[in-house]
Amino acid sequence: MKLEVRLFAGLTCLNEGLPCAGKQEFFVEAPAGITVLGLHEFLMLRPGPLVTVVNAVVEKKDFTLSENDRVGIFPPIAGG
Amino acid sequence: MDKILRINVGATGGPKATVTPLGEYAGIGGRGMTSLIVSKEVPPLCHPLGAENKLVIAPGLLSGTVAAMSGRLSVGCKSPLTGGIKEANSGGQAAQVLGRLGYAAVVLEGKPSDDTLYKVFINKDGVKITADNSLRMLPNYDLVERMKKEYGDKIACISIGPAGEMKLSSATVACTDMELRPTRHAGRGGVGAVMGSKNIKVIVLDDTGLSARVPKDIEKFRTANKKWVEGLRKHPVTGQGLPAYGTNILTNILNEVGGYPTYNFKEGRYPGGSKISGETVAALEAARGGKATHGCHRGCVIQCSGIFNDKDGNFLTKQPEYETVWSHGGNCGIDDIDAIAMLDFLDDNYGLDTIEMGATIGVAMEAGLAKFGDAQAAINFVKEVGAGTPLGRILGSGAEITGKVFGVERVPVVKGQAMPAYDPRTVTGIGVTYATSTMGADHTAGYAVAQNVLKVGGDVNALKADGQVELSRNLQIATASIDSLGMCLFIAFAILDQPETFQALLDLVNAMHGLDLKGDDVTALGKKILTMERNFNAAAGFNKAHDRLPRFFSTEPVPPHNITFQVKDEDLDKVFNW
Repeated sequence: MKLEVRLFAGLTCLNEGLPCAGKQEFFVEAPAGITVLGLHEFLMLRPGPLVTVVNAVVEKKDFTLSENDRVGIFPPIAGG
Repeated sequence: MDKILRINVGATGGPKATVTPLGEYAGIGGRGMTSLIVSKEVPPLCHPLGAENKLVIAPGLLSGTVAAMSGRLSVGCKSPLTGGIKEANSGGQAAQVLGRLGYAAVVLEGKPSDDTLYKVFINKDGVKITADNSLRMLPNYDLVERMKKEYGDKIACISIGPAGEMKLSSATVACTDMELRPTRHAGRGGVGAVMGSKNIKVIVLDDTGLSARVPKDIEKFRTANKKWVEGLRKHPVTGQGLPAYGTNILTNILNEVGGYPTYNFKEGRYPGGSKISGETVAALEAARGGKATHGCHRGCVIQCSGIFNDKDGNFLTKQPEYETVWSHGGNCGIDDIDAIAMLDFLDDNYGLDTIEMGATIGVAMEAGLAKFGDAQAAINFVKEVGAGTPLGRILGSGAEITGKVFGVERVPVVKGQAMPAYDPRTVTGIGVTYATSTMGADHTAGYAVAQNVLKVGGDVNALKADGQVELSRNLQIATASIDSLGMCLFIAFAILDQPETFQALLDLVNAMHGLDLKGDDVTALGKKILTMERNFNAAAGFNKAHDRLPRFFSTEPVPPHNITFQVKDEDLDKVFNW
């Protein structure tokens, strides 16, 4: 299924087998029924805690993604 | 820090300096000091620009030591913008130097008898106050150059630009950074106008010949500082994210969650966000020979600031903060980072709060004075403020006044102060802080964004009312304490997640002052400060009607979530229940 993905704060897709390798903003064909954690692993994002936003809502690792979801992922960051 | 410097600007013959022991003000610093002095000595019903108001400048309990992150300065008064108590907070070198000079506070009091402008010079030999009308209406950068020529380059400056001299309610007090540039500001609430009402243009600090303050228990202090720095470096926020990208890393994040106030709080996501994001700016800074990692004061290990050069590689301004990029960027529909950087420079130079100024420009655009997205118009507006034209004086008086003058309904202010860069409808916890903080709409006062969006220090659903009152309460208490230590507030991200790092901070304070503070004491301090501030505001005429967001946040849903502010009024009134 197609997902719209944005990676922030230096994250990139490290899966060389995907067309989006090395990119931060892309569409990707991911397996149907993939979870947030599954997507992290599918994209081979660097290890460590991550926050994932799905359609403007922060979701947990076990959340199941759907066709055409907009996903934003970032490592722990903050500011003010 | 064993003394207080009082400058009576209304004394016969010109301002008179008196140095006194701490007395009843012993054992407190930063916001604790400023709020205590203001509560005890400033009549809550006084005119903010009159003789009875006082401007209190205070470093923190650890300022002037070698403790990492200890260089924040508090500036307090009755605010000309809000009419309530105010503590504005700044980085830069001033707190460290003032701490080493031994002053726990500098208090400007009284009213000048004429319009003579003064500069104050403080070094280890004492205090010298000199009339200097040649400094009149100098912008901050030019002023600091003059001070360097006169006093050398080992100084730190606390100053006002033309905005402060004109007593505009958006005026800041500027502090120089390690490169001796006036890039850090005690920004909120018009503290610069109060300094202007005292006719003090600049305070020059020189700690030549003085060393760092010595702790009561040197070994314990050294051990605690080592653990403290280790804790800050290992936390992903303070050790990686902030040093690499600075606060503007938030642009993409707030945009993604739909909480980025766009076109004067009309929408929650800005299409041009990625063009002005922290990632884009960091890459641009590196390409132009600037810096994406930089500390604003000696002893900072988080290094969240930076240096922004123009297209020709010449210094333009410090790396604009998230709040500035938002206020002059997406809030005004501007996606040109060079224009935003120029606006940041102009704000710093004239001495204007970038949050208030950007929010004001957004209201002006809503009023039809310019189109959203017109960067040149925004630059021209700020130049009008600096020049003191009639329109400039209106804009320089803040978003609420501008909205009234031009008949605008959508004015995002609480207690007269403009909202920062998070929409309260989608970041509900920050909405509670905006509504209830003693400071007016203030994001740092209780930064619920951390738990609502960033999932640092906890997890509370941003889109629901549940848990937000408790969250804001706890954060407001913690922040009031941290602001009293003189520590940069960004330490909160590390100490909320890492108990051993919080303990290291307690050990630092205890080793420095020979105390035995525990975590509960820190909470008690925060509550005490907030209670003082609430009492001052009540006596100044504030009641629960002032602890509310503007009506449109309850009636106007904001896309993409299309929700309104969910927290009930009666729950807002529970924030200070303890």
